[in-house]
Amino acid sequence: MLIETKDIYKIYDEGKESEVRALNGVSLNIDKGEFVAIIGQSGSGKSTLMNMLGCLDVPTRGTYLLRGTDVKKLSDNELSKIRNKEIGFIFQQYNLIQSLTVQENVELPLIYQGVDASKRAEMARQALEKMGILDKAASRPTQLSGGQQQRVAIARAIATRPEIIMADEPTGALDSRTGADILGFLRQFNDDGTTVILITHDNSIAASADRRVRISDGLITEDTGTVGPVSYSGEDDAGSMRKPASAAHAPAPETLAAAPQTAEPTIPASNDKEVSEG
Amino acid sequence: MNLLQSFKMAWRSIKGKRGRSVLTVLSIFIGIAAVMTIVSVMEGMQEYTRQQYAAMGSNKIDVSVYSWTYDEDGNNISKDYFPILEEYCKSLGDMVVGVTPNSRANGTVVYGTVNSANIEYKYDEETWELLQAPPQMYYASPQYSLVNEYEITRGRDLTYLDVEKYNQVCVLGSMAVKTFFGNVDPLGRELQINGNKFQVIGIYKQKATASSQGYQANQMDNVIILPYSARRLLGGSVDNQFQIKVSKSEYIKDVISRVGPYMRNFIPENAGSVDAYSQSTWQEYETEQLSMIGLVLGGIAAISLIVGGIGIMNIMLVSVTERTKEIGIRRAIGARRSSIVSQFLIEAGMLCGMGGIVGIIVGTIGSLVLGKLMYKIVIWPSPIVTLGTFAFSVALGLLFGSYPASKASKLQPVEALRAE
Ligand SMILES: Nc1ncnc2c1ncn2[C@@H]1O[C@H](COP(=O)(O)OP(=O)(O)O)[C@@H](O)[C@H]1O
Ligand SMILES: [Mg+2]
Repeated sequence: MLIETKDIYKIYDEGKESEVRALNGVSLNIDKGEFVAIIGQSGSGKSTLMNMLGCLDVPTRGTYLLRGTDVKKLSDNELSKIRNKEIGFIFQQYNLIQSLTVQENVELPLIYQGVDASKRAEMARQALEKMGILDKAASRPTQLSGGQQQRVAIARAIATRPEIIMADEPTGALDSRTGADILGFLRQFNDDGTTVILITHDNSIAASADRRVRISDGLITEDTGTVGPVSYSGEDDAGSMRKPASAAHAPAPETLAAAPQTAEPTIPASNDKEVSEG
Repeated sequence: MNLLQSFKMAWRSIKGKRGRSVLTVLSIFIGIAAVMTIVSVMEGMQEYTRQQYAAMGSNKIDVSVYSWTYDEDGNNISKDYFPILEEYCKSLGDMVVGVTPNSRANGTVVYGTVNSANIEYKYDEETWELLQAPPQMYYASPQYSLVNEYEITRGRDLTYLDVEKYNQVCVLGSMAVKTFFGNVDPLGRELQINGNKFQVIGIYKQKATASSQGYQANQMDNVIILPYSARRLLGGSVDNQFQIKVSKSEYIKDVISRVGPYMRNFIPENAGSVDAYSQSTWQEYETEQLSMIGLVLGGIAAISLIVGGIGIMNIMLVSVTERTKEIGIRRAIGARRSSIVSQFLIEAGMLCGMGGIVGIIVGTIGSLVLGKLMYKIVIWPSPIVTLGTFAFSVALGLLFGSYPASKASKLQPVEALRAE
């Protein structure tokens, strides 16, 4: 199991009148290669859960095993290393550093990895190219549209070729067409074998995932489970089976609004498609 | 993350907040410039003093022997102490290079129309160098030039024969030559001293040089040196002031401690005094005084630096608060605490280093201007002072940047990310 949480709590101001139980005993397993959506209303604890899974935060109680290792036992440096190498974050507000160029933003995690300058620049260019935004490499984030900024942020997340991508409302600030492009990319990464965790409050967006976990008041209320897609995960031949599909829509990201439809045959639950249309 | 990368990144954020960076640099450069100026002016002054004393000659001991014994008519019947002292110095062997009376002779000196009674003090208006003054006459032994480090350029020096035979001869310093003879060759010519003819037998090489000007050095060129036996002719009481030159500075204390007690044997108890001391003691004292003044002024400047440093700390704290989100982002994508610390430390160090460079430039100008205005000398800050100042400013940045930097690194990634 890649991700394994056992009964984790996140309680703010515990014992006080202002106590908030952002997570109220969450047990969740995610396997390598899954594409999981975590759905819930605003304030239900989705971001808190993602921060926990992404080693940005520590649970008040409960254990979180990442690839079998208890995260609680890791030092700050080890956690930094995990965030740096194994997880790519995508945020609703893009979270690019305004004083750095697009290229530098994408290079930043590689800088922290200690990758040398020429290799780093090359890896960043590859990531930008994959996101179809290499022509903006020298621009500042403020010179870009929201959709373009999110592509840069995604390029930064994938530049280190992480095993897991965690996206917290990645389309929340974008129009639906641009948002669909972004979801297309996530699908593509998953097709290539990356585990994707997508946080959203929008059922139609959650529909692009293979598995949906509903959370309400810090508790999991529904889990569609690993139906079908889990059998693809990590399996080499299964991965290669899916590759042609991803290759088909990768070269033209602009047309990815149609991605859910293109991917339809691989998603067993057909009603998902209808939700995404709605 | 390598250091070069950190420097680039720090430079980037310094440039990103240009206005504030300029203010930060301004807040410390004044203190740096002040420290720099004070330190280098003090260094210049010490060098100046050192050269002054060097012009007078080193390894010298001044001995004064006074006694007040009188006959029935009230005349001072003190002994002539010089032969005693000279004899004793001979017994000290190699330790002593030479010994001479060092008493001023009083009298009017006349050559043609020039009369010492009418000579006025003249200074160069710009450099304040002494150009002309009434000459100073000294009774001397033939070792006078040895003790005072004079060199004969023309003619000859005093000899024991001059002393023994009561020869009416004299040796002149270069300024005295100029005063009395102008462009006329003085050798063989005769000065009237209190109406007695004294023949000029030699000229000393000029002591004041470009690097060791100043009143002391100029006065040493303004001398008329007479054999001490001329006292019989010119009058006055016995010699009281003597100078001994020792061969090594280590001997100064030793010789002082021997000569003093020895000479005390020859003066009546309770009716005289012997004093032996070294100019270098004065030099040490004066240098010490200068250092004290420098320390006090430096302390004041250091306070202004601390104020500047607190300013830096304040600015860095604001910067950390403003960039909480950025810190969160960096932490999220894998920056270690140490990377954040070094980012802010390098930024503070660079800002202060820049303040240091501006301070060094201003401080150098300050040293040159102050040196010129106050002491008429050119004071270039030494490389050590310059490098030291730079290192000090960077250290200041690191010191006052460390609290904000550690504060930045202790932010929890989630908390930092939540900031706007
Ligand atoms: N630092 C905090 N202090 C107090 N309460 C918090 C803090 N962070 C989140 N919460 C609360 O925890 C709950 C879950 O928040 P969050 O995980 O951000 O929800 P979601 O992402 O699902 O909208 C909310 O009620 C929120 O107000
Ligand atoms: Mg949220």
